[in-house]
Amino acid sequence: MSQKMEHQPVSLRERAHQIFTTAKSVAGKAEAEIILVSRVDEYLRFGNNELAQSQYSTSRNLSVRVASEKKQGRVTTGTLDKASIEKTVEKAISQAHNSPEDPDYLPMPGPQKYHTVDRYSEKTVEAPAELKAGYIGSAIDLAKKNRLLASGVLGTSVEHVMMLNTSGLEASYRGSGGYFSLTMDADNGNQTGYALSTFGDIGELDPNKVSQTALERAKLNKSQAEIAPGKFDVVVDPYAWSEMLLFFAVSASTGYSPDLGMRQYKEGRSYLSGRLGEKILGDNISIDDDVYHPSQAGPPFDGEGCQKSKVSLIENGVFRNLASSRISQHRYGAVATGHELPLPNPLGELPTNLVIRGRGATKTSEELIGELDKGLLITRFWYVREVEPQTKTVTGMTRDGTFLVENGEIKRPVKNLRFNQSLLELFSKVDAVSEPVRNFSEFQQFRILQPGILARDFNFTSVSPF
Amino acid sequence: MISTKDLGEELAKISLDLAKRDNATYAELRLVNTRSEAVTVVNENPASEETGTIGVGIRVLYNNLGWGFADTDELEHESIRETTKKALSLAKGASKLGIRVTRASEPVHVDKWETPVKKDPFRVPTETKYEYLQDTTKRMKENDVVARRGQMTFDYIEKYFANSEGSKIFQTLSYAGVSAIVAAKGPTGVQRRSIQQNAGGGYELVDEMDLPGQALEITKDVLALTRAPTINEGKSDIILSGDQVALQVHESCGHPIELDRVLGYEANFAGRSFLQPDQLGKLQYGSEHVNIVMDATLDHGNGLGTFGYDDEGVKAQRKYAVKNGKFVGYLMSRETAPRVGETRSNGCMRAEYYKLPIIRMTNVSLEPGTWDYDEMIEDTRDGYLMVTNYGWSIDQKRYNFQFNTEKGYRIKNGSIGEMVRGPTYAGITPEFWNSCDAIANKKSWVLWGTPNCGKGQPGQTMITGHGASPSRFRNIRVFGAS
Repeated sequence: MSQKMEHQPVSLRERAHQIFTTAKSVAGKAEAEIILVSRVDEYLRFGNNELAQSQYSTSRNLSVRVASEKKQGRVTTGTLDKASIEKTVEKAISQAHNSPEDPDYLPMPGPQKYHTVDRYSEKTVEAPAELKAGYIGSAIDLAKKNRLLASGVLGTSVEHVMMLNTSGLEASYRGSGGYFSLTMDADNGNQTGYALSTFGDIGELDPNKVSQTALERAKLNKSQAEIAPGKFDVVVDPYAWSEMLLFFAVSASTGYSPDLGMRQYKEGRSYLSGRLGEKILGDNISIDDDVYHPSQAGPPFDGEGCQKSKVSLIENGVFRNLASSRISQHRYGAVATGHELPLPNPLGELPTNLVIRGRGATKTSEELIGELDKGLLITRFWYVREVEPQTKTVTGMTRDGTFLVENGEIKRPVKNLRFNQSLLELFSKVDAVSEPVRNFSEFQQFRILQPGILARDFNFTSVSPF
Repeated sequence: MISTKDLGEELAKISLDLAKRDNATYAELRLVNTRSEAVTVVNENPASEETGTIGVGIRVLYNNLGWGFADTDELEHESIRETTKKALSLAKGASKLGIRVTRASEPVHVDKWETPVKKDPFRVPTETKYEYLQDTTKRMKENDVVARRGQMTFDYIEKYFANSEGSKIFQTLSYAGVSAIVAAKGPTGVQRRSIQQNAGGGYELVDEMDLPGQALEITKDVLALTRAPTINEGKSDIILSGDQVALQVHESCGHPIELDRVLGYEANFAGRSFLQPDQLGKLQYGSEHVNIVMDATLDHGNGLGTFGYDDEGVKAQRKYAVKNGKFVGYLMSRETAPRVGETRSNGCMRAEYYKLPIIRMTNVSLEPGTWDYDEMIEDTRDGYLMVTNYGWSIDQKRYNFQFNTEKGYRIKNGSIGEMVRGPTYAGITPEFWNSCDAIANKKSWVLWGTPNCGKGQPGQTMITGHGASPSRFRNIRVFGAS
């Protein structure tokens, strides 16, 4: 099991230029853009105290956009021999030719200057499967000693992106990261504890801390007390949110399309349309899109290769700015912020690097619990979905440990609860926050830095039988 | 150019021979060649993308103790050997932290299978697709309408499977999807109406769904919803539209019968299940009217869960999960079936080539009942009709659920009355299915498609089918989404 996650950024760059030369020659007078993405993923997954699924995946994807006479086509392939590349470009030309004119078409952007981001960790890239298996083995041993079952995943990913176009743009990015997600449980999940840690550099991972947190919560979360639904003050662990805070940025009402972009706002598709300048959250909450935050991930350029800018979307509770792009600059005279998706994109701009932060000094999770007179500690939300878009009311469940807190101390576990809660209202009633952490959700590729919070009047509406 | 089948045979020989030489207990290889197309119009803006991928996934069991999986999109012989070695290496490592695997036997299959397609979507010109979608979104253009969207997607998949037991299977699978969404803003906030169907087959689905023909009706609906009242919280009888019943089956029956969840292998993410093995044949999951099948055969219909063989070479089958309301069966793999005393998998392992196959739903369907739909409405004295899902949520064991729907109507004395916005219902799974007292007959039964079922780590998305007809449930907790 001694294999490295091999990655060769230099050869990928050369490969991208070779491909681009071929693409240009086939495209002729048409504009052409290529995005070449190479990934290596290694995930060791375990359940029932067994290492049940070990996976190693390599992929290369070439996406070609061709534009001519305001018509565009995009074709993606995983086959990179010369004949396949030529065929891919020919298909993109044909698709562009057969498409209607795009009213938002703009000539491809020229060379850009990028702020550098350092997101490539040799330690992560080189981490052998044995190292991960060792961390997992320790977690399983700890679970066994405590008559619990460990399940979860420890995985690492390496990504390299190269982008080139016929206007002279060249952009590249390489990054690495991973996460360790762990549940310890017993009694068919009636007794559970959960912990998660994300990392860019696997050297930052403290596997023992993850194991101990899951263990402590599982030991505490036994024989849950009955509880009546209602409004409770809550402390939410920073890793508890799952996909919940994604709903600040997308709406089910328009088919899970993004909300915080200029085009959606101007067209009236966003739940925030017409609300710029309005106070929508508490004055101690701000939300940025900031790809340059040291805990963030991903490339510093957007889907057409333009540099991303930091955007203060919500400042001290007031909705101030939107993510924008060259199309919005052309349509509305907006300042382009580099938040375009790969074109053609009819959905609008998408900020993918949200940072949700509180004002003033942050507190530890233990300090937040210490400040809770009476309420609930939430360690994990689950299956969150939008109920109503204007108030951003979402429903979902708690799982893997919901605890009654009194006078700043955890008193006892309670059964899992369903909530129906407006995110706008919740983030208007936050009394204190912890430092934001990078969460991970299996359902989406958003990279949201989210804090733990102490908040009032969280609305729980029913209880599960366990 | 070499065919996918011939290439698969060539690569499988290299991989399976190598695995055998290195003492693998079992090995399998899938070569999957996929062509996909998505065409979208949002308001007046067009977008289309065609995607082609080809790659190999190799799964190996070592010493009956550990599994390893590796994939590659580099199809040279040396890459296949390296990928096989990676899978073997992972399997050997996993065997140190594994438990003894007993696998249900499966006959050796040398076969081919093909999804029936009436109209090849890749032969329909892109212009025709755009014209259809632009016609759809144009018809939705009204004051107060804030978003209009039409989309169609097509997949054509050639899949070659071979394993160390001698099975050699070649399948061509074709799927189509078509959808339209219209959103409007009015005094009650933003409301949505949508149409969506996904199925096996080709462009015939686009013709059948006639989005332009339905566009006016859903636009009229959504504008009415922006002025419609909500409903009061309380208990009520409800009738759910067939597409909503399909999602209810998916979430509250399809997931809890996945045996890997039951055995704890999904405890960290997808969750566990309230349906335990000691309840097999005993638990009254639903009322006597409720019959739920797991059916991947073409006889059931050309759905997203219809195929010839699953991704570990098990032939498509039909089995009951719930028979006359009683819980009687799981979705299983060859590895998990013996853990509940079964001698054969029912063929539910599915994944894209670059993902490890895990237990997924095939077509998990509620069988039609005996009621004529109109008679079901006429038989309902006081209740709500709820149509098309908006949002869905259910706990990790699949007990506590809440679904909100796009639109509803009050039913009074057997007649459909006033439209209501955002009608929502909630309950506990076995209580809910035991309250089912009427299921509409075959005339109203449709094999619906769910194209986005999430499970596994790292996340996998799977397509699943769910046949259902409108059904009635008594005394259910209801309230308005707003």
